Amino acid sequence: MPLLEGLRLALREIANHKLRSFFTLLGIIVSVAFLVAVVAIIQGMNAYVRENLAGAIVGRNAFQIRRIPISVGLIDDEEWRELQRRPVIRPEEADYVSRAIPDAEAIALQSGWPTPMADVSWRNRTVGDVLVVGVTAPYQVVQDYETAAGEPLTEIDVRERRRVAILGFDVADKLFDNFDAAIGRRIRVRGFQVAVKGIVEKKGTVLGQSMDGFVMLPLTLFEAMYGRRQTTVISVKMPEAAQVADAMLRAEEAMRIARQLRPGQANDFTVDTAEGLITFWQNLTRIIFTVVPAVVAIGIVVGGIVIMNIMLMSVHERTREIGIRKSVGARRTDIQQQFLAESVALATLGGLLGIVAGWALAQLVAVVSPLPARITWWSVSVALGLGASIGLIFGVYPASRAARLDPIAALRFEQ
Amino acid sequence: MTRDGSLIRVSGLTREYRMGAETVHALRGVDMEIYRNEYVAIMGPSGSGKSTLMNIIGCLDTCTVGEYWLNGVEVSGVGDDELARIRNQEIGFVFQTFNLLPRATALHNVELPLIYAGVSAKIRRRCAAQALERVGLADRMQHRPNELSGGQRQRVAIARGLVNEPSILLADEPTGNLDSTTSAEIMGVFDGLHQQGQTVVMVTHERDIAARARRVITLLDGRVHSDTVREAA
Repeated sequence: MPLLEGLRLALREIANHKLRSFFTLLGIIVSVAFLVAVVAIIQGMNAYVRENLAGAIVGRNAFQIRRIPISVGLIDDEEWRELQRRPVIRPEEADYVSRAIPDAEAIALQSGWPTPMADVSWRNRTVGDVLVVGVTAPYQVVQDYETAAGEPLTEIDVRERRRVAILGFDVADKLFDNFDAAIGRRIRVRGFQVAVKGIVEKKGTVLGQSMDGFVMLPLTLFEAMYGRRQTTVISVKMPEAAQVADAMLRAEEAMRIARQLRPGQANDFTVDTAEGLITFWQNLTRIIFTVVPAVVAIGIVVGGIVIMNIMLMSVHERTREIGIRKSVGARRTDIQQQFLAESVALATLGGLLGIVAGWALAQLVAVVSPLPARITWWSVSVALGLGASIGLIFGVYPASRAARLDPIAALRFEQ
Repeated sequence: MTRDGSLIRVSGLTREYRMGAETVHALRGVDMEIYRNEYVAIMGPSGSGKSTLMNIIGCLDTCTVGEYWLNGVEVSGVGDDELARIRNQEIGFVFQTFNLLPRATALHNVELPLIYAGVSAKIRRRCAAQALERVGLADRMQHRPNELSGGQRQRVAIARGLVNEPSILLADEPTGNLDSTTSAEIMGVFDGLHQQGQTVVMVTHERDIAARARRVITLLDGRVHSDTVREAA
């Protein structure tokens, strides 16, 4: 029997038993949907971390010189003690770096982690839990901040320790009805009076977290209010992504000179990009990627057994049909192919439905939660391949049983 | 008639079944020869072995001992796939219970043997339509078996038996499930086919049905009891 004929027959048989076919396939559909959805969400988050999160934290085409690396990961006590012995990054060291990288777009200092939070109030309005950051003027370039109203911080603001502040969009939005009227107003940050100098254009959210809920102060003012942080960071922004790697090497050298480290002596600082963050994230998702296939495999095998069971039932029900086909000249292989085609078509259909369901699920998650979703072609092809091979593997036994039926007994068979 | 016209030749045909501890001797050495263009009725009471003989002639079953030559080819001892090929090309079956695929149209039922013969869809359709016309069902091609009367179903079955232009048309109690008027109608179809040169072998236990055949072979206890040829009228 030609393959096309077998396929046509299989599809008709499935169409004749729509509900039964659907329930047969439920296991496969759920497993495949789970696979596709989970992979889509993880892939979406990977891309998101790479494209948005990393940029938002470190800045585009930027790297940082830090006391403690970004990648938290798994650090043992010994390493932690080692990190704690490192000296704090000093503002003078930023000068060494800027001399070593004259082509940098911006080199900034910023107060590090943990970022303090404070209430910010104007007249009778108060916004709680606002992140307070102390920065030098170039930090605004590193972060690609656009000014929505007023003016950005300047070097003079920092040098003179002026009592001025730049507000994040959300903070300004909650305190003032009119941005232009807000400029020059005196607000209170943790009780300190500062004048609003500028408002930063909306940055949006990353993973559901607003990037606009901050108050930016001159680093000098910040240190007067909170004391010098142990975690001050130097940020360097390059004009092109391709220049970052080379600039990082030069920054490392400059820092070693600044700290008078001898050759062979280990760095007591870290030059880091958001790569570290991405690597940490990928290590995390790798664990999920090893667990998901195991769960899916169990579901698929159970789904396959259900298919086998239904196919056995179908063979039994259609004993007479098999007898008829054999009596008019169907060979064993013809019967075997017919039932194999049916189980493969059935399971592949399950895979297809699972892909659709998984895609819908991923989209739903993307809509109702901040988690992004991205369907990848490889998860779709794995799902389809899985469906087809499950149909093949679990279809062999029922199909060979059908093929082995004795034609005379099959013709006499009564339901 | 000469030996050259011999279509079926069986000798010493024996068939035993094991049923638990017992051995059932369905056939105990049958010898016979059927020639081209013959119209043979095989008669006998229940358990005489006529269905077993029919199954062996139709290549659905194989004998335990003996020889079976069909169209000059020894069939006893060939493999499963070869038996399927012979059923497909040499034999047309008509069963008492019609044995049509219930969900398929009359046309598709008739096409079935051609599918396994590897005939292309276009030719298949044409041949099946011609076969249905031969049995007078040109206007019922798209009907399913449950939309047809008993007589019409049996005509579809006959068309299916004919569609591959087989050497023998084998009918097993073809009128067993039909009323007398319809039976006569169906027997008319067989008569017509025989007149067109088709070899027909029919198993029946009804005397008046057997009377339409030119030759009647009677089986008793797995042996040929009588073999009579009616003189042409």
